Amino acid sequence: MNNPDFVRQTSGTLADSTTRHPLWWQIHADLPLVAGLVALCIFGLFVLFSASDGDQSIVTRQAMIMLVGMMTMLVVGQLNVQFLRRHASSIYLAGLGMLGLVLIIGVEENGARSWIDLPGLPSFQPSEMMKFIVPLLLASYLSRRQLPPRFLQLLIAALLILVPVALVVLQNDTGTAIMVFMSGVFALLLAGIRWGIVLSGLFTLLLASPAWYFFLAQEHQKNRILTFFDPYRDPTGAGYNIIQSQIAIGSGGVHGKGYGNGAQSHLDFIPESNTDFILAVLAEELGLLGVLFLIGLYLFVLARGFFIAYIVKDMFSRLLAGSITLTFFLYVFVNMAMVSGLLPVIGLPLPLISRSGTSILTLFIGFGLLMSLQRHGRSPSS
Amino acid sequence: MTPKLQLKDHEAEQRLFIRRLSIAGVLILLLFTALIGKLADLQIANYEYFSARSDDNRLHSQYVPPMRGLLFDRNGEILAGNQPIFNLTVVSEQVENLNGTLQFLGSLVRLTAEDIDQFRNRMQRNRVPFTSVPLRYALSDEEKSRVAVNSHLLPGIAIEPQFVRSYPFNELTAHSVGYVSEINREELERMNDGQRENYGGTNHIGKSGIEFIYEELLHGTVGYETVEKNNLGQVMRRLDRTDPIAGHNLTLHMDSRLQIAAERALGDVRGAVVAIEPSTGGILAMVSKPGFDPNLFVTGITSKDYSMLVNDVVNTPLYNRSISPYAPGSTVKPFIGLAGLELNYVDYEYSINDPGYFRLPNVSYRFGDWTLRTAIGGGHGQTNLQKAIYQSCDTFFYELGNRMGIDDMHGFLSRFGLGENLAMDINFARTGVLPSIDWKRENVGEPWYPGNTLHASIGQGYMLATPMQMATATAILANEGRVVQPRMLKAVDNIPAEPVAENPVDNLVLSDHDYWHFIHESMTMVVHRPTSNVFRDYGGAYLTTAALDPEMPYKMAGKTGTAQVVAIDQSIRSSDDIQVSELNKDHAWFISFAPAINDYIEPKIALAVFVENGESGSGVAAPIAKEIIDTYLLDILQIDFGQSQQNLHLISQTSE
Repeated sequence: MNNPDFVRQTSGTLADSTTRHPLWWQIHADLPLVAGLVALCIFGLFVLFSASDGDQSIVTRQAMIMLVGMMTMLVVGQLNVQFLRRHASSIYLAGLGMLGLVLIIGVEENGARSWIDLPGLPSFQPSEMMKFIVPLLLASYLSRRQLPPRFLQLLIAALLILVPVALVVLQNDTGTAIMVFMSGVFALLLAGIRWGIVLSGLFTLLLASPAWYFFLAQEHQKNRILTFFDPYRDPTGAGYNIIQSQIAIGSGGVHGKGYGNGAQSHLDFIPESNTDFILAVLAEELGLLGVLFLIGLYLFVLARGFFIAYIVKDMFSRLLAGSITLTFFLYVFVNMAMVSGLLPVIGLPLPLISRSGTSILTLFIGFGLLMSLQRHGRSPSS
Repeated sequence: MTPKLQLKDHEAEQRLFIRRLSIAGVLILLLFTALIGKLADLQIANYEYFSARSDDNRLHSQYVPPMRGLLFDRNGEILAGNQPIFNLTVVSEQVENLNGTLQFLGSLVRLTAEDIDQFRNRMQRNRVPFTSVPLRYALSDEEKSRVAVNSHLLPGIAIEPQFVRSYPFNELTAHSVGYVSEINREELERMNDGQRENYGGTNHIGKSGIEFIYEELLHGTVGYETVEKNNLGQVMRRLDRTDPIAGHNLTLHMDSRLQIAAERALGDVRGAVVAIEPSTGGILAMVSKPGFDPNLFVTGITSKDYSMLVNDVVNTPLYNRSISPYAPGSTVKPFIGLAGLELNYVDYEYSINDPGYFRLPNVSYRFGDWTLRTAIGGGHGQTNLQKAIYQSCDTFFYELGNRMGIDDMHGFLSRFGLGENLAMDINFARTGVLPSIDWKRENVGEPWYPGNTLHASIGQGYMLATPMQMATATAILANEGRVVQPRMLKAVDNIPAEPVAENPVDNLVLSDHDYWHFIHESMTMVVHRPTSNVFRDYGGAYLTTAALDPEMPYKMAGKTGTAQVVAIDQSIRSSDDIQVSELNKDHAWFISFAPAINDYIEPKIALAVFVENGESGSGVAAPIAKEIIDTYLLDILQIDFGQSQQNLHLISQTSE
């Protein structure tokens, strides 16, 4: 099935495909990726059922969102890559417009003014989409030029990244801003940006961070940093979440306390136990083995993303597929690292496991893009 | 330069991309490795630590307070019980708006500013998070239902049952049984670690009376229970329980019926009654008036109630008069007379001619006869010991005391427990003063003067005794020298209890046993010897007792006392002239035992009646004593003196 000739023959619209091909092939679904995602979703629902204390309505709602997400993914998978590539700028501008709109009519939730709640439509977060729109535009921009990118191109690319990042920062949503920023950076890294520039960028960040800490950082951000270094400076306040989370993880041991027996979560010691801190519930009840199983599932999905980035034939598809995969990894890693105390607390859910709405939908849109790239990106069309 | 015109080296670009992708892949694996390392550190290396922390989070050992032992009187009547009350409690962590909630609660239940004040104090004291703190004790049924109906508007507010001490006799037993109240800081600090542990679940501790003395027996042993609590402190499961051991039930010698009778007989005066069973030393009644309601102290007395009790400097309801020292006055005369007989200073016939005063040799000062001080001139005339007792002749005792000297007097009277606390389980009773040369040198810093002895001979001067001491001395007198130490405790869990005497006192054996009968007879004359209403017979109590009850079926021995008020508090003296004259009046005493001079029935009761500023032992105290003894012998013991003399005669014949 990886025969390029075969692929070339069958590429095209659904109408062209013959009945000899299985259904998943006809609808451009990448079977291993779908299988990995379905496994993650089922495992996620399984953990969520315990984390929510057996609340069926929460689990049912999550399952519905996942189903909607899957279908969205399949629909996005039908998009022609060339269409995306051609209209990258328009999509980007539309995204910026939405971010601007949020600043005017946005609705605040959990301290971040990042939601648009139009009558008759489900509320959504435009900033979430920027995690794909920024790499989309950069992939489109960079793939048309010689790689590795020159300095001027880097400046333009930096501008393209920083404008939406700034708008998201204005929404007071640091976590998403970092993700949008990193999604663009991934595209640049994959495009071969010189290590010298990367290192000097890192060095600048390192130098700038004290200035940020002392002059720009808000109180709650400073608190998170301080708490990261010493959770016990305020064990019942700022450090409470991470302390209780570590107690839950540590007390799970290798085998866990057993499904549904997590005292830390069922006795409400873990806050946000079915959203951001759901990993603590998993680690407490199913132990290190359960977490390794989850990491295994994620690695499978990541590997498939890498594979797709590897097999697609044009640079645009490569850059976009690689960026989406790395962004997904970053999501997974940041959440796990923050819950286990390896990183400061940043409000990000654990992909496909945490109870959430838009983040699941945008994740599936990302995977839909991957599938689209996988099917359409193999033959250079121009 | 237009980039689009540059030749793109697709092969090179792809190689660059794949290199970068590979680096990313390696980085991903490294980062996951670091993450797994961190998880392994938490879940394997520190598993024991976090496992323990997790258990600490959820498992709580909590105290289960033991039920306090009950107190019964000798007839099984409950003197102190445990009553369930329903308290309004607050878990402040669960209350969103405390002030608003308190305001709303104020519209549902009676909630004074003081209740709220005390609640805030308690909150600061027990700051264990998520524990409920009482806001109001003892809700009424109506208040309970009003709170229950609105419970959905009151998160964190609960109605919790609690057992608290209740004293069904209210004022009646306040001074004898005492009361419990909330443990204070000093009491906690006095405890050792084991005791403090045992009081972990207990809020109350005995503060006075029996509740204080037998605290250890009454309290019981704390129990434990391991519970699983959630983050809100709510108990989810009970995992393990060690039941508490209830305190011992104590039975007292007290007879609540006699206690009631004594209180009623005293009426509306400031005074005290102590009644003792001569055969055992058991305290049948112990009343101090005015009393107070001990129930007020149990759930925290309001400062208004407390200041009313404390600021009443005249009535001092918190002051236990039954164990407080006063000049015993003439009530000591039978004991001094007995000393005179035993120590050979007088015999039955010895008499003096009383001019109404006594003069020390070579001193012109006249020691007047207090009983005659309202009369003009004259004395008791020719007076022997018996007459000196039943007419309470001061001059005779001045003369006797002067010859006897303070050393002999002190030595003999101490055999009756004067000047010390003989009581076995009333350890806070005052000892009074049985003066001696040494005592005066130590406490007054002066040498002993002969005049001091004269004052002591009539129970004045330095001599002080508590009503309980006088009742005890009377019991020993009634027992003809067999010393009984007064005690409250009769039985523990229905098993007769014998408190261990710390310093047992030897029985008093006289050289001639008949001296006892002589004194008994003399004291019986105080009550039964018919007299006319003239000043010479002032010391007798016949007119106020036996004369009013011609059919009195038993003989009662007694002695009046009318003690001069030695010291009056200066602040009271200046405050109110009417009060001053009232407080200047003499204290009235009467000691008594009955039945006396009875061949068949031993004395059943010995008592001391004390009326502060009562003016007259015979006029005020004696009738009170008669009423109490009547109640005890005739109503409570229901002794049929006509019949029982026959029966007991038969019984004693057959048994001997």
